[in-house]
Amino acid sequence: MSSVLTFATVGFAEAWWIQIIKAVIIFLVGFTLVPLALMLDRKLMGRMQMRYGPNRVGPFGALQPMADIGKLLFKQQFRPRTSVGFLFAVAPAISMVCAAGAFAVIPFGNTVDIFGKEVGLYGIDVSIGILFVFAFSALSVYGLMLGGWASGSKYSFLGAMRSAAQLISYEVSMGLSLVGVVITAGTLSLTGIVEAQAGMWFIVPQLVGFLIFLLAAFAETNRPPFDLTEADAELVGGYSTEYGGGRFAAYYAAEYFHLVIASAIAVTMFFGGWMLPFGIDPPQWVDPIVVIVKTVLVVCFFIWARTTFPRPRYDQLMSLGWKILLPLATANALVTAILVVVTH
Amino acid sequence: MSAVIFFIAAIGALAGAIGVVTLRNPFYSVLSLVGHLISLSALFLLLRAEFLAAAQVIVYAGAVTVLYVFVVSYVGDGTVPLGPGGLRLRNVSMLFVGMLFVELAIAILGSGLKAIDGKGAPYVLGFGSPESIGEALLTKFLLPFELASLLLLVAAVGAVMLARRRAGGRTLEDIAYDDTRYITPRTLFSGTMAEAVGALHAPPEDPRETARQTAPYVPPSKREPVPTPVADDDAKED
Repeated sequence: MSSVLTFATVGFAEAWWIQIIKAVIIFLVGFTLVPLALMLDRKLMGRMQMRYGPNRVGPFGALQPMADIGKLLFKQQFRPRTSVGFLFAVAPAISMVCAAGAFAVIPFGNTVDIFGKEVGLYGIDVSIGILFVFAFSALSVYGLMLGGWASGSKYSFLGAMRSAAQLISYEVSMGLSLVGVVITAGTLSLTGIVEAQAGMWFIVPQLVGFLIFLLAAFAETNRPPFDLTEADAELVGGYSTEYGGGRFAAYYAAEYFHLVIASAIAVTMFFGGWMLPFGIDPPQWVDPIVVIVKTVLVVCFFIWARTTFPRPRYDQLMSLGWKILLPLATANALVTAILVVVTH
Repeated sequence: MSAVIFFIAAIGALAGAIGVVTLRNPFYSVLSLVGHLISLSALFLLLRAEFLAAAQVIVYAGAVTVLYVFVVSYVGDGTVPLGPGGLRLRNVSMLFVGMLFVELAIAILGSGLKAIDGKGAPYVLGFGSPESIGEALLTKFLLPFELASLLLLVAAVGAVMLARRRAGGRTLEDIAYDDTRYITPRTLFSGTMAEAVGALHAPPEDPRETARQTAPYVPPSKREPVPTPVADDDAKED
């Protein structure tokens, strides 16, 4: 057992082979949700804009993401003569790894008995919980910045600077918006936070925090209307201008991965994770399905917002982040702290 | 297993630190600093200080060093090698490095070497967790903690004061505050959207500029021949 505890104390230590199996399963779940979100994005957006969306490949066009990814992977890799080869190749991988790494702490259910062994339905349950996610999202900025810089192109470089500034700005409000939840739950561990929502989902007492989180998540995941890093209609293409083929696919998939993770975090922190409302207590094998369904619903909300709102100007985005969201998030954390101290 | 991870992280940390001072391109220098910080956080994880590890990555690698990368990628593109620096600066830095070396040597010789044969400090459950760090900061180390936060506040205010707009055009202070709009009023004639769509025209800065704009158009063939510039030393670049 001691070998399991090499790295940090985890809330629930398991045998190494269970950890490996869990890692593979979580990886598979993650990489199933990503094409699903991609597909949903295109189909749902098509329906909202009175068109069909992709409907050629497979039944109802369901295999379109596979066709897209296949096409991108088989394209020839090329790069500008001015680019820095090593960094140019590594940067999309950094984006991808950081996106996938954050998925490890998302809880899909409590510990269950499988063949007489207790297994937690999550990758790891670290005591730092949500900070783990933030650590990876902080590092994912490097994926964009290195990609933009190593491209050796002014368009890429300026796009990368835009996105880095945006991500750093909104990371602050995003972190502060979740402080209220952490104070209310009294723990940083994500499973602990879900269990603390047994009586009432945190969206009710932490509504302000949720709204701030949602707005910041749009900017953090580069989703329209806050997709100022790419802004397809206005810029050449942001940091990924010079990318094509598999490397572009990595960036693209990482973006959707961030979307899925942001939705899963919203579900975990505000929508009660694997719990169902009105005292419904289904058997435990339903828990992961509940989490995934809730996550997909939040993804649908992101797509809905994409088709509804126009894109703000860059300085408006920055003003919103620093002058509205940040003070509001700070006030929210402060008021929550005072209330918790008073009521306890 | 932990020994393997320790050596990987330690080698990474050392290589990163050496890279910071030896690499000539400032961009790569900052990148190896990032590598160094990530290796350090892996070492923190080995010591079961999860909170410190996460804070290391979020604050240093994720925020501070990103700003370094920002600045360096704008100004230092690596084509200009770092200069030798002033002689005085070099002497002062030598002095500081010497002092640091002596201090570390005293610390290591005084205490660290005794611990080589002994066992490490025992691990108490919960040590290094967010709870215990928060408790230590708010009870035992309350005064240093508050002083450090005051220092950070002063630094933040100072940065805002240094970075505010001063020169040229209208400044923020000239524009009446309107609490219904949260948009920063931009300095006029700094490339605002209003200028881009032609709703606002900047006054010409140079009288010659005005002359050129108001003068009737003369096709290039009928212009007076411009005397060819005398080649000077700067023209060698061509």
